[in-house]
Amino acid sequence: MKKGLILFFILLFVALAFGPANAARDKDTIVIVQGVDPTTMDPHNHMETPAWNLHIQLFDTLLQRDPNIKMEKLMAESYRIVNDKTWEFKIRKGVKFHNGEDCTAANFKFSLERMADPKNKLRQTVFQGIIEKVEVMDDYTFRIHTKKPYPVMDAMLCVYGQPLPIKYFQEKGPEHFASNPIGTGPYKFVRWVKDDYILLEANENYFRGAPKIKKVMFRPIPEATTRVAALQTQEADIVTNIPPHLMKMMDWKGRSYVSKAPSVRVIFMAFDTTKPGPQADKRVRQAIAMGVNMETNIKKILDGNGIRLGSPLTDKHFGYDPSVKPYDYNPEKAKQLLAEAGYPNGFDFILNSPNGRYLNDKEMAEAVAGDLRKIGIRANVKTFEWGHYMNNMMYAHNAAPAYILGWGNTSFDADFTINPLMRTGLLLSNVSFPKLDALIDEGISIMDQKKRQKIYSDAAKVIKDEVAWGWTYQQIDIYGVNERVNWKARTDERLVAFDMSFKK
Amino acid sequence: MKFYILKRLFHSIFVLVGISLVVFIILHLTGDPAALLMPMDATPEQVAQFRKEMGFTDPLIVQYGRFFKGTLHGDFGLSFRHSQPALDLVLERMPATIQLTAAAMVIALIIAIPVGILSAVRRNTILDHIGMTGALLGQSTPVFWLGIMLILIFSVTLQWFPSSGRGNIWNLVLPAVTLGMFTMARTARMMRSSMLEVLGQEYMKTAMAKGLSPRMVILKHAMKNALIPVVTIVGMELGTLLGGAVITETVFAWPGVGRLAVQAIYNRDYPVVQAAVFILATIFVLVNLGVDILYTYLDPRVKLE
Amino acid sequence: MSTLEHAAKSFEFSGEDRRVARWRKILQKLRENKGAMFGLAMVLAVILSAIFAPLLSPHDPILQDVEKRLLPPVWQTGGDPSFLLGTDHLGRDIVSRLIYGARISIVVSVSAVVFSAILGTLIGLLSGFYGGNVDNIFMRIADVQLAFPFILLAIAIIAVLGPNLQNIIIVMGITGWVIYARVVRAEILSLREKEFITSVRALGGSNGRIIFNHLFPNVVPPIIVIITLEMARMIIMEAALSFLGLGIQPPTPTWGGMLADGRVYLATSWWLATFPGLVIMLVVLGINLLGNWLRDILDPRLTQL
Repeated sequence: MKKGLILFFILLFVALAFGPANAARDKDTIVIVQGVDPTTMDPHNHMETPAWNLHIQLFDTLLQRDPNIKMEKLMAESYRIVNDKTWEFKIRKGVKFHNGEDCTAANFKFSLERMADPKNKLRQTVFQGIIEKVEVMDDYTFRIHTKKPYPVMDAMLCVYGQPLPIKYFQEKGPEHFASNPIGTGPYKFVRWVKDDYILLEANENYFRGAPKIKKVMFRPIPEATTRVAALQTQEADIVTNIPPHLMKMMDWKGRSYVSKAPSVRVIFMAFDTTKPGPQADKRVRQAIAMGVNMETNIKKILDGNGIRLGSPLTDKHFGYDPSVKPYDYNPEKAKQLLAEAGYPNGFDFILNSPNGRYLNDKEMAEAVAGDLRKIGIRANVKTFEWGHYMNNMMYAHNAAPAYILGWGNTSFDADFTINPLMRTGLLLSNVSFPKLDALIDEGISIMDQKKRQKIYSDAAKVIKDEVAWGWTYQQIDIYGVNERVNWKARTDERLVAFDMSFKK
Repeated sequence: MKFYILKRLFHSIFVLVGISLVVFIILHLTGDPAALLMPMDATPEQVAQFRKEMGFTDPLIVQYGRFFKGTLHGDFGLSFRHSQPALDLVLERMPATIQLTAAAMVIALIIAIPVGILSAVRRNTILDHIGMTGALLGQSTPVFWLGIMLILIFSVTLQWFPSSGRGNIWNLVLPAVTLGMFTMARTARMMRSSMLEVLGQEYMKTAMAKGLSPRMVILKHAMKNALIPVVTIVGMELGTLLGGAVITETVFAWPGVGRLAVQAIYNRDYPVVQAAVFILATIFVLVNLGVDILYTYLDPRVKLE
Repeated sequence: MSTLEHAAKSFEFSGEDRRVARWRKILQKLRENKGAMFGLAMVLAVILSAIFAPLLSPHDPILQDVEKRLLPPVWQTGGDPSFLLGTDHLGRDIVSRLIYGARISIVVSVSAVVFSAILGTLIGLLSGFYGGNVDNIFMRIADVQLAFPFILLAIAIIAVLGPNLQNIIIVMGITGWVIYARVVRAEILSLREKEFITSVRALGGSNGRIIFNHLFPNVVPPIIVIITLEMARMIIMEAALSFLGLGIQPPTPTWGGMLADGRVYLATSWWLATFPGLVIMLVVLGINLLGNWLRDILDPRLTQL
């Protein structure tokens, strides 16, 4: 009987051992490793970078960002602002979807209006309440009518608004589309084995020319050390999100190299000034800002892979003002300010932080708390699981006195950072500065970009003066690349296979 | 016998319903997933609207009733994050999980049973001590430590195996060893103590006195009886392995159900959590029933009531 | 021999002498068994570490110095003699954190074990004694408990109630009661119909009396054995919770927390995770050896555990 059991197990094991193998990892396939699988192939229905990195191969947008984050035209041949509430786009002719359908203005109307309709319950809501309707002028011209002036339309269209093939989408439905996408992009979808790999192949008829690399495979590997191992065994060509201390494992002469780029993502410590406590006093906030040695912390905790910022914007974000610098590290002055504010003997302080959501977030929080303890503030870190953090602390405005968060604004326009994070009354905002509110409201409602630049400059100064944030830095993303690949990391965290090639 | 099986299956239904109820309550205690599904720039109004549309604001009983009705049709709802049927998401990952679990079990048993028998037969010798210390080490080694070490040594340095993912039989070895280690250790110890008890029994001494060679005695009589408690353990372990392979699946990027279930928990993806727990609990219950039935074949004294 | 004669024999020595003789015998047996001595040494080491931590520890375990982060153990290049086993990612001394970590490990595992032992024993007593529907319900609940993914329970309870010491003990206690209940129940089932119970009943003893004065004392030896074995499992479970980010909050040092923190650095700074892992392994080994020995002298029937 037991012999039978053992035999059964062995047979079962052998039978299952020859499951679907990884598609032949041949020389023509580039293997890109991210941390997670995308959740869907529907370009309008997700909000995660790993999904963007898939969709950027399959779909095109009207506009795009070049590696220096300059806006350039992609599917749009030209565009102009007709009036405060109307944008007109002329698109390229002769672009076809992977299944042969033509891409015309009607496809854009279909897609943009789909995104703008709350009834579709899509996870991208940027155009809801913004786009009134899309008017098709002729096969290759259309106008977007907005409900109110929307100066960031072009910035948004660099990221959102991929056209969908109407006939295919309506015949098969969104659920089927989410696993079998059809777009206009440089790569066609071949196969998706969930949590295992995604296989794409070159679209030879792509309107910018056939891509140099013929096959692309994406694999999700959650564990950072395992990702690096995949690079070392040459199973992977590009690996993402590498913690700094693993960098030395990836720099192998002749086998692999490290590629870094300042990230679109900023990490910051924000105060809740609306709740009672020492942090409601500006002088205390200033003291905290001066009492934390971010230079050293970045150097040590991140091995220098971070850039200190003086405002919530990076230098690539429109509205950035380089003259607004962070507070200098000055623990003596900090102690003075604390005494002035009435806390000569410090006070108890809790710093709330997520755990593992951002690179070394918990470590950074602990390092910061350590600095604060040196100037007399009895600081302690409380970490939370992400779901709990978002639900019960962020959304419930329950994270006083201070908390850590990250923000990756790929529209590269100031409004999408400052507005959701600091405008009074919004979900993620725990401050209330009337001067700032006025600037924010004005900035999103006028079309004159020069005036907007000045507005956001002023906003940055208000933010620094009021010390809404104790500190902030821009991450530096670290990638590992196989020696045979030509590629440089991008600030917007995008992996554009079309721009990649193999070295001869 | 047939009546017993029917009775157990009937009880199992209660168990499964009970589990789904507990899961439901606990999930809702942790708050709804609105905060995790909404884009970062959502307004309070958008969030309120979303909550209403998804039914999160309905009383819990209503929500559970809706869910329960769906399960009667085999519909666990659409995953919040993937917008696909939750049950499908779980089922399409089952083959990978079953493969890994089976491999882990096979590796564990192939090593544990002989080691346990040897340790028992050569009791209190060096062999015994090595075997049992090794087993204790195996039981207390952290899974992630073992997995990462195996990758660094056997994949990166020696290049004997691929480092991650699911492909052919070579991809299976390292994760299966990692996952099976705990079971291997526990079963070895169980096998040893079980053998010791059997060997000490009167009828064993009688058989040896009768002149049967010791080896024959061991192989024929002792093992069959010693395996009984081992079978229980294996049954329990199988159930836990299926759902508990999370760390192994994460370290080796194995596309199994464990990873999906844990991610779903962190994302408050209720339908997927419910579907995953349901499938895993069902397997657990069925395996235990199978083990109990197996008992009756192994030990005629056992009568199931 | 009849029951009465048995009873008479046991009264051959006077009560006082019998107890002293018994203790002497126990200590003698302990000295003979090397494994148990090792186990006792380990347990004592942990207890002493916990009590005398401020005296034994070379540094303040929560004092961080980012400049001295990730220093290797003293025998490797770059090591610093004042940090024998190196420093962690925030420059804190590993040795000191290991010593102080004993405190949490003891508090958590002892409390959790006591909690689940009390809960499980109570349920086992009631279930075994009353049988019938009471028994059925409790055993179904046990099934639900076993098939339930531990992670979900942990995340839910701790996320809702907060990651402090009490809640962690509650979570660990809730997940551990089943084994006590099952073993106690099995004992009760076999004792229930024994002669001495029927005689107590004939003398007019109430149910409560029977349960607590007569059945309970018989159940104590197996419970003690299970407690020692479960203690080891609790230490590992604390590590698992820290792993999920649900453990004791920083900067309090716990072995599990150190393991979890060290995971990312395993490939480059192996000492962060390896030393706490080793300590956990040794302590678990020690507790198991002690537990095995206890089982051997208290009740050899319990080899199944």
